[in-house]
Amino acid sequence: MKRTMRLIRRFLMLALGIGPILLILNLALFIAFTWREKSGGGGWDAAKEVGEELALKEDGSWSLSDVGEQILTEYRAWGILVENGTGDVIWHSGDLPEEIPLHYSLSEISWYTRGYIADYPTTVGARGDDLVILGHPKDAYWKLLWNSFDYDIIAGMPRMILSFLGMNAVLIFVIYMILATRILRSVKPVVQGMEALPEREVYVGEEGFLAEVAAAVNRVNEKLRAQERNLRKRENARAGWISGISHDIRTPLTMVMGYAAEIEEDASLPVDTRRKAEVIRRQSLKMKELVGNLNLASKLEYQMQPVKTETVNLAAVLRQAVADFVNLDLDGKYPVDFDCDEKTDKYILQGDKELLQRAVCNVLTNSQLHNPEGCHIGVNLHREAGAAHIVLEDDGTGVTDEQLAALQSTPHYMMDSGNGSQLRHGLGLVIVRQIAAAHGGWVRLNHGENGGFLVEIVLKCL
Amino acid sequence: MGYEYLRKKRILLVDDEEQLRDMVSSMLTQEGYTQVRTAGNMAEALDAAEAWKPELAILDVMLPDGDGFSLLQRLRETTDVPVLFLTARGEDEDKFRGFGLGADDYVVKPFLPRELMFRVSALLRRSYREECPRVRLAACELDFERAEVIKGEERLSLTAKEFELLNVLYRNAGRIVTIDGLCEAAWGDNPYGYENSLMAHIRRIREKIEENPSKPVSLLTVKGLGYKLVLAEKQGRDS
Repeated sequence: MKRTMRLIRRFLMLALGIGPILLILNLALFIAFTWREKSGGGGWDAAKEVGEELALKEDGSWSLSDVGEQILTEYRAWGILVENGTGDVIWHSGDLPEEIPLHYSLSEISWYTRGYIADYPTTVGARGDDLVILGHPKDAYWKLLWNSFDYDIIAGMPRMILSFLGMNAVLIFVIYMILATRILRSVKPVVQGMEALPEREVYVGEEGFLAEVAAAVNRVNEKLRAQERNLRKRENARAGWISGISHDIRTPLTMVMGYAAEIEEDASLPVDTRRKAEVIRRQSLKMKELVGNLNLASKLEYQMQPVKTETVNLAAVLRQAVADFVNLDLDGKYPVDFDCDEKTDKYILQGDKELLQRAVCNVLTNSQLHNPEGCHIGVNLHREAGAAHIVLEDDGTGVTDEQLAALQSTPHYMMDSGNGSQLRHGLGLVIVRQIAAAHGGWVRLNHGENGGFLVEIVLKCL
Repeated sequence: MGYEYLRKKRILLVDDEEQLRDMVSSMLTQEGYTQVRTAGNMAEALDAAEAWKPELAILDVMLPDGDGFSLLQRLRETTDVPVLFLTARGEDEDKFRGFGLGADDYVVKPFLPRELMFRVSALLRRSYREECPRVRLAACELDFERAEVIKGEERLSLTAKEFELLNVLYRNAGRIVTIDGLCEAAWGDNPYGYENSLMAHIRRIREKIEENPSKPVSLLTVKGLGYKLVLAEKQGRDS
């Protein structure tokens, strides 16, 4: 929206700039076109020159020199000389139209010299005390008959021109603003609608000169939302399906696990049978993890698991997760070394307690599942550059370089259509990644110092 | 002395899956519980509850004629028997719903027998403590009813905080209780920053309950994580 406003402002500035430019251009054009024109004095000069070329002959009549004749030809004008006192025409050129009078009263002279004689525009000059009048072709000049102006108007001319220009500018500005506001008002909802299209439901009123565009925006909106709904429906169906399966598998799994554990602990049975039962119990534990993880992963994947954010003390979450793990490790095969700074208020963040606990629990269970003979697990929490680092490291079998590379480069277990055999560590860690990502953090996987596996979860602290 | 009296508690197990009922009831019997009854649906469960007055109920959430939550609601109208939920739905809302209605604990399927047995025995101990208020530790006995430590002829009283701490440790006997869990039990909702106070209290508790407080055998430190109370007599697989 801001950008649209900026655009409108730029256009306004441009329009205001165009005014003076146009003014200057017009002035220049006017000067260029009138520069070569004869000055307004052309006809008057001719009258004066003709007067000078008139000579009194010995017989008392007047004659015009060749130069004078040439001037008359050039101006296509006729000429008369009116005698001072009598008002009689004492000379006239050869081509004098008939309708031109040969005697003039004083009032006629004052009228004719100012304007026209029989529609011929006149210019006058003097020959001694006598008056030379040239009559020009009717289409040669246009004469202003009342050519006097109030002195005030002339004196105030500069101010008047400036105020005219100013008023013009204001008028242009006002008109422009009204137009711009009206355009903006009809453009605004359309622009806003288009901007909001990717995020939410949009409806733009289909009126005004942008009605068609608005209708198009509404159509796009409908299409997008329909697609979203379909996608959501499919995702829900898929997540619901996974959730259903994981639910249905839990009860039979309970029985497998329960009886296997019972057989395993029954001292009256042969050792070999009990060992087999242990394998069954262990494998069903893996299935239990898998079922739980599959369900959570699909929910996180389709954003159906709401991330409830509250103020969380990460140290407390970590302690609880580790304590839960140790409490369930009744044989003590997985001793955990917990190492955390005493100042626990350094690890306060906004997050989902249950999910964070689940992430840590997954890493610990991962170590357990991949090291059936037992292993030592180190858990360390420290702060580095404003972020909490949870480092979980075991000294178990670890992974090969190839496996590590595969784990690091497989962002999506669920989307992966490739070779599943490399994903032995898969789902549990995918969830750890998803949970870290949901908290704006990330996960680093590596070899442990003692040849085991290392998982580092990094989360931003407050 | 010990927890034999808990083995005589009447336990009602409600689950629609017959084989699961069989398995869990056989687990309970093997564990030493002598009075176990089962019900396959809500109607049977309500009948049994009325006629037999169970002292612990283990309820499945999914039942053919209703769900565990409404069964619990019905039970709660007449009794406050402790209830443990067995659920195949691990989702939070179910947990909260269960607890909101007055469930005392829950176990998510699938579970290991040991896990369930621990929960059952912890819940019974917690619910029927007054019937045998004395708890034996290596060097003393705890009398929770009078908030006292009995060390030979000597009787030492516990302060309110010490009592709270020992109480939460006892409820989770044999398991680690985190520093945060203990602080929360003693200082309530905003327990951060009490770690040093907690250490002081633990030291004073040890002076009261341990033979040699600098070499504790009953109240053990789990480095970095928390503390663990070890009971003197192991009853079956209680701890």
